Amino acid sequence: MSIQVESLGFHYAPSHGAKQGAGLEGISLDIAPGEFCAVIGPSGCGKSTLLRLIAGFLSPEKGRIRIGGEDMAGVPARRRNLGIVFQNYALFPHMSVLENIAYPLKLRGVPRAERHRRAGEAAERTRLSDLADRLPSQLSGGQQQRVALARALVFAPRALLLDEPLSALDAAHRAAMRDEIRAVQREHGIATLHVTHDQEEALSIADRVAVMRGGRLLQHATPHELYDHPADRFVAGFVGHANLLAAKVTAPDEVSTPVGPLRTAPHGQPLGATLTAMIRPEAVRVLAADAEPDLPNRFAGHVSRDRFLGSLRRFDFSVAAVGKTMGGKTVGGEPIVGETSSREAITAIAIPPAAVHLLTDPSSTS
Amino acid sequence: MRHATATTARNLGLAAPGLLVLGIFFLLPLATVVVSAFSGDAMRRFFASAELLDALVNSTWLGLIAGLVAVVLGTVVALHLARLPPGRRALVQVAIALPLTFSGLIIAYGFILVLGRAGFVTLLLAKLGADPATVAQFLYSRWGLVLAYTYYLSPRVILMLLPVFANFDVRQIEAAESMGASHPRALLDVMAPQVAPTVFAAFALVAAVAFGTYGTALALVGSQINILPLRLYSMVADAGSDFPLAAASSVVLLAVCSLLMSVAEIAAARSEARHVSA
Repeated sequence: MSIQVESLGFHYAPSHGAKQGAGLEGISLDIAPGEFCAVIGPSGCGKSTLLRLIAGFLSPEKGRIRIGGEDMAGVPARRRNLGIVFQNYALFPHMSVLENIAYPLKLRGVPRAERHRRAGEAAERTRLSDLADRLPSQLSGGQQQRVALARALVFAPRALLLDEPLSALDAAHRAAMRDEIRAVQREHGIATLHVTHDQEEALSIADRVAVMRGGRLLQHATPHELYDHPADRFVAGFVGHANLLAAKVTAPDEVSTPVGPLRTAPHGQPLGATLTAMIRPEAVRVLAADAEPDLPNRFAGHVSRDRFLGSLRRFDFSVAAVGKTMGGKTVGGEPIVGETSSREAITAIAIPPAAVHLLTDPSSTS
Repeated sequence: MRHATATTARNLGLAAPGLLVLGIFFLLPLATVVVSAFSGDAMRRFFASAELLDALVNSTWLGLIAGLVAVVLGTVVALHLARLPPGRRALVQVAIALPLTFSGLIIAYGFILVLGRAGFVTLLLAKLGADPATVAQFLYSRWGLVLAYTYYLSPRVILMLLPVFANFDVRQIEAAESMGASHPRALLDVMAPQVAPTVFAAFALVAAVAFGTYGTALALVGSQINILPLRLYSMVADAGSDFPLAAASSVVLLAVCSLLMSVAEIAAARSEARHVSA
């Protein structure tokens, strides 16, 4: 079933304390049946509040929430039929793995033998059969996570809500669990809202990603679109790495930036407009010292910071012609961040004009 | 090895004054009482006396009922307090802890001023047509004792349970509700089994206190109600002739209290072991 959120508004009472996070303003979001939607944003952006509103733990002041087309106004959490995985999993410590998974069925009056059979099957699907009699305290983080997921899905809920379910795991398990969650979600074909602060996780797992900031929804798009065409400067900086340069339009296919004039694809922006030019690091081409001297956006300079990341090398490239040269070193001017797998010395780079994205942003404050 | 022995000796030396005080003022009197209770026929006479056995039964009743009422009341109040913001909770907690600082006599006196024959509430009720004697009779009955005991036992329960309730992970309740449980059902299925050992420990503790206390009872009911602590009091204070029987009563009183306390300790330890492994 689908989840539809229409112009949702919510504010915490002032006495509630600031740690509860920000309110929401005018959030509209559609999650189609079977779709996996990740909500990302910095802490306090309201993403958890959104989840709690959909779950029914909070009531919106404005707007509407529909699940499977049904208006949820006044419907308590227990009647919404949603599977929820909490950040700390919220497993019941006094119940065994099997009892935890069987609990939602118990609430639905499923007879004991039947619910144990179904919980056993769910445990098997999530590779928990050997652990069925253990208590949650005897499980590893990843195992607890799988119990929480099995418990949230065993009663065939209308939608699945995941509240930062991977944040308690170490990096190695996180990637594996990510794939596992996605596989289980596909298998059940269930609309899923996944709240996370990890943009890499969101990009890799979701069909569509919603980026929030300060209680507002900035962009809701596929991972590719979000990465290639971010709505504004904030989204560009938050999703992946990006060179963000202040730019002024000087020609139909050129802007001036702190590193010098940049050729772009024909952009259709008015002359003199101030914008942000975004260049993804992997779009920066590394050139041999004397190669292709006539390439547009070709810069000579040197690497001012070099980070070896294994399969990848991320470097800060200081453009020679920019800033003051003092004792052979360039001072001032923004370096251009690039990525390459080459381990050679780098003395020249080029930015393909098509890789320069111009962002007009109303919220260019950050 | 020699070093270890030296350390042990030094530690014993440091503990000596404390051990001395413990020996003179606790172990020695205790031993005297136990020895005199079991020498001669004092213990047999205790269990042969219908009056003393009746006192034992009454005391047990009082301990269990007052403990139960205090635990029920304290649990409800603690559940409510756990949901308050920490600042306000601390404030209310101070007010609740106040009765703990009063002696039993003062509490009895307070209840007499409110519900006694010329009590404030008694006179108010009299204006509404109630018979003052009947109202006052309630206070001087065993239910009156239960009321007074509850007044100073429930704060103990609240202070014991509040940290457990306040630290309880409410997301477990939310999780249960999201699966379809009503709020009461979620509390019953998810919270109750986890807090039960602590609630039981609180019950055993306050039941032991109610069983053994005598100040409030002395001031309120005097000798009208036959309970073991008052029996013991009169044996020691007034007649003062049958010390072996007093010692036997003491030992019985002590045994019941110790039994309740050890049950409380075992329950608390069990719940702790569970929490540590969690």
